[in-house]
Amino acid sequence: MHGMRPGSSVRREFFRKSPSNGHPAFEKQADEELTTMEEMPEELENRAQALLANGEEIKVAISTDLQFDGTYGKDWVIATDKRLIAFNQNSTPQHQLREISLSSVEAVEIVEMHGNNILKVRMPENAVEVARYSRRVSPKFDLATPELATLVSEANPNAEQEAPHRPQGSGKNKDKCETCGHPIPRWSGVCVNCVEKRKLIFRLIRYAYPFWHVAAPALALMMLIRFVSLYPTYLSKEVVDNVLVPAERAVVGATVTQTGAEIPPPTWGHLSGIVDGIAEWMTLPVAGSWGHLVTLILLMVGFNFFTMSASAVRGYMMAWVGQNITRRLRNETYEHLNALSLDFYNDRDTGNLMSRITEDVARLRDFIANGLQDLIGDSLTLIFICALMFNENWRLALWTLIPLPCLIFFTIFFGQKMSKVFSVLWKRYADISSILASTIPGVRVVKAFARERYEINRFSEQTYQVFQGEMNAAKLWTLYRPIMEFIIFSGSILIWLVGGSQIFGGALTLGQLMMFHGLMGRFFRPVYTLCQMNERFIRAATSADRVFEIMDTPPSVADRKEAVELSNIRGAVEFKDVYFSYDTEKNALNGISFGAEPGEMIGLVGHSGAGKSTLINLITRFYDPNEGTIKIDGHDTQQVKLKALRQQIGVVLQDPFLFQGSIADNIGYSKPGASRHEIIAAAKAANAHNFIVKFPDGYDTMVGERGTRVSGGERQRISIARAILKNPRILILDEATSSVDTETESNIQEALERLVRGRTVFAIAHRLSTLKYADRLVVLKNGKIDEIGTHEELLAKEGTYASLCEKQTELSKIRAW
Amino acid sequence: MQEAMQITDEVQFLDASKVKVTRSAFEELIVKLPDGETHTSVEAVRTFPLTDSNKYIALLDSEGEELGIIQDIKQLSRNSEKVLASELQKRYFMPKITKIHALEGQFGVTRWDVETNRGPVQFGLRTRYDVVTLDSGRVFIKDADGNRYEIENYHRLDATSFALLETQM
Repeated sequence: MHGMRPGSSVRREFFRKSPSNGHPAFEKQADEELTTMEEMPEELENRAQALLANGEEIKVAISTDLQFDGTYGKDWVIATDKRLIAFNQNSTPQHQLREISLSSVEAVEIVEMHGNNILKVRMPENAVEVARYSRRVSPKFDLATPELATLVSEANPNAEQEAPHRPQGSGKNKDKCETCGHPIPRWSGVCVNCVEKRKLIFRLIRYAYPFWHVAAPALALMMLIRFVSLYPTYLSKEVVDNVLVPAERAVVGATVTQTGAEIPPPTWGHLSGIVDGIAEWMTLPVAGSWGHLVTLILLMVGFNFFTMSASAVRGYMMAWVGQNITRRLRNETYEHLNALSLDFYNDRDTGNLMSRITEDVARLRDFIANGLQDLIGDSLTLIFICALMFNENWRLALWTLIPLPCLIFFTIFFGQKMSKVFSVLWKRYADISSILASTIPGVRVVKAFARERYEINRFSEQTYQVFQGEMNAAKLWTLYRPIMEFIIFSGSILIWLVGGSQIFGGALTLGQLMMFHGLMGRFFRPVYTLCQMNERFIRAATSADRVFEIMDTPPSVADRKEAVELSNIRGAVEFKDVYFSYDTEKNALNGISFGAEPGEMIGLVGHSGAGKSTLINLITRFYDPNEGTIKIDGHDTQQVKLKALRQQIGVVLQDPFLFQGSIADNIGYSKPGASRHEIIAAAKAANAHNFIVKFPDGYDTMVGERGTRVSGGERQRISIARAILKNPRILILDEATSSVDTETESNIQEALERLVRGRTVFAIAHRLSTLKYADRLVVLKNGKIDEIGTHEELLAKEGTYASLCEKQTELSKIRAW
Repeated sequence: MQEAMQITDEVQFLDASKVKVTRSAFEELIVKLPDGETHTSVEAVRTFPLTDSNKYIALLDSEGEELGIIQDIKQLSRNSEKVLASELQKRYFMPKITKIHALEGQFGVTRWDVETNRGPVQFGLRTRYDVVTLDSGRVFIKDADGNRYEIENYHRLDATSFALLETQM
């Protein structure tokens, strides 16, 4: 080989690490155990130990997954209470150990970069980068850095005391499976690799169990139906062999020889006794050919009638079972969904969750009610058919089964092709919808920039994609049908050929030949459904997993066992060293400590992303802090029952949500059973009464998605009325006036002024004028409290708040012109 | 620390026994309030027209400003009650459907042929969302022209009407 780049040898080494058997690309990457004391390779350990003084002990040893040149590999960071050793195998000329005395270190830092981080040690004169690692191992380094910082501060009292603080165990990484490290598809939220199909199916069957008193008889009925439905085929043999053929012979014989040919005494096969009995009872001539024929035909009709009516009954029973399962699954899922905390909703989009409760549950119903029954029923049918065939003539039966492997092969083959084609097609249809969903609401933009032609072309391109997909599907379909028909045809050819020759040899009767034909025709459907079973199985398992994922997720914010009630609080709120992060990457709150007196109004100020909304989310316990406590009247909120806590808190949000229902329902939402008097009073207090009365239906006006259109300011005032009616001790106003015009704002301001009286209030506002009644202002910056104090104090300080104020005054001047 | 607001203090109902409602020669309402002030061309508005038609009646002056709310028209004197009740009867026209003869159409656009307490009527609906059902069994219907109809309790309709209505719910 020539021209090999120097880096490629390293890369090859990386690949060699994966096991050569199986799929190296999908190697299981179970989470490494989070430890700051990893086991070092012997050689490294020896070299490190050689550097240490007597009695010096290794406190931290962690490995990276990157080297400094950016190739994958393991570097090490080792620390004792005296020194830090960086092992950097990438540096030339040989693997190098760098030693840094801890007493010279001032700070240990993590430098967060794009896709990888660097651990840096800062000294008075310079700084050394000691490790480079990807995000995969960053939890380990987050854990180790404070430990390193502790070691540093012990060795060097002058060092910076504040270690980079990262909360642990916050947020879950839902992009990758926790058990196998396989990426999880965004739409599903379930690791396809880890779905334990069998377990899930058993769990599903448990949902059918409460309805077994209907399901079991339905199953029994189905077995009976499958058995009985084959009988007419068997009877046809009797008709041919014992009625028609003898009769024909008799007629032909009579015309040819003019002598009475002997008619063999009728045999009735298995049903001899019954048929004789019925014939006798109907006073039909038993031995007479005509009566015999009619009786057999009547039997066929009877069996058929039984099969049909029993199928109808069974269908109804199974529908009952299936719908009951659906209802139970849906209700249970929805109930649990309501118990789940906000972080669960943040990770998933609404459509995804909705489809779990509607589509996935329906798919499960289909699987339990139809799929499992089909499995049993079709297997039984195949067994019955084989049994009948082999019982009649095992040689011919063997011949008949020859096309079966072909049938199975092609069904599975086409099934797999088909599901691929259809999933592509499904995606293309989804793309069409997404084009429509983005251009129809955005039509003003499209027209304003005269981009209609562009959008039309884009759409046309997509419809062409769908056309191609559909044609691929059609190609398969049109090919599939003839092939299947040919295979079945070849089966019947074989029956004609082999059966015919057997008739020549006298080993087979004409009736048996007919029966084989009939049975062959019934062979196809069960084979087809059984071949599809695996795919149905997998789909059901995936659906089950999606549904059960909801049910199995424990709410991250839940009542503790020892949680206490909370009644008649005064409304003192205290934050103490609160740290919080939505994900593991960035802290939204970085050590917040402050207290609000009962009845005090706190204005929260800061740039977007400063942590204002997060602070509020923690008061309402939409999330729990990773570290630190929030106390209400001295009770840790985490030790208080959620319901009791939220009963004390009222919220007015930026974009208020109105439920489907009347205005009165929406105001009364916060206080079930509120009287009309209270509702009108709350609406009056919220400055909402006047516009409500002007609606033709007054308080009975339907609002929500399908109801009367209510403007933003009106919605806001309804939601303020909702909060007023609840009469909470702690009130949260999250940008309550930002989305309305100035006049409405003053209307709402007036309502708010009344609302905040005597309550502890936390108010977020971009327009600082909204906060003019605030007793104190908390200015947040990067999740920390930057400034705190009254409006005047902060202005005097000439800090962040003062400059914010200045900018807004300038803006409002411009607006006033 | 200030006490939090007492919510019911936020609305003062009129002392209905001291309110006098009469009708002027212009067929408009004249209201004399407890404080003796008299207002002409007063508008009476049901705040809960669908769910509580004779309670919480708001009285608006000719400018649309609210004079006050009467909690229950029964609290008024006999004569005033009569005047106000007849005015409300006139203002709010919502026939009660007693029987559905025919209901046909698709995609939510339907034609109804019904019997009401005000006589037989035929009307059309634009969407199925114009049929609103309350838990109590009451049904409100708004037709394409904006007229309103109600069914007091659809469970008490005859079987044919019920079957027809069910297709719309």
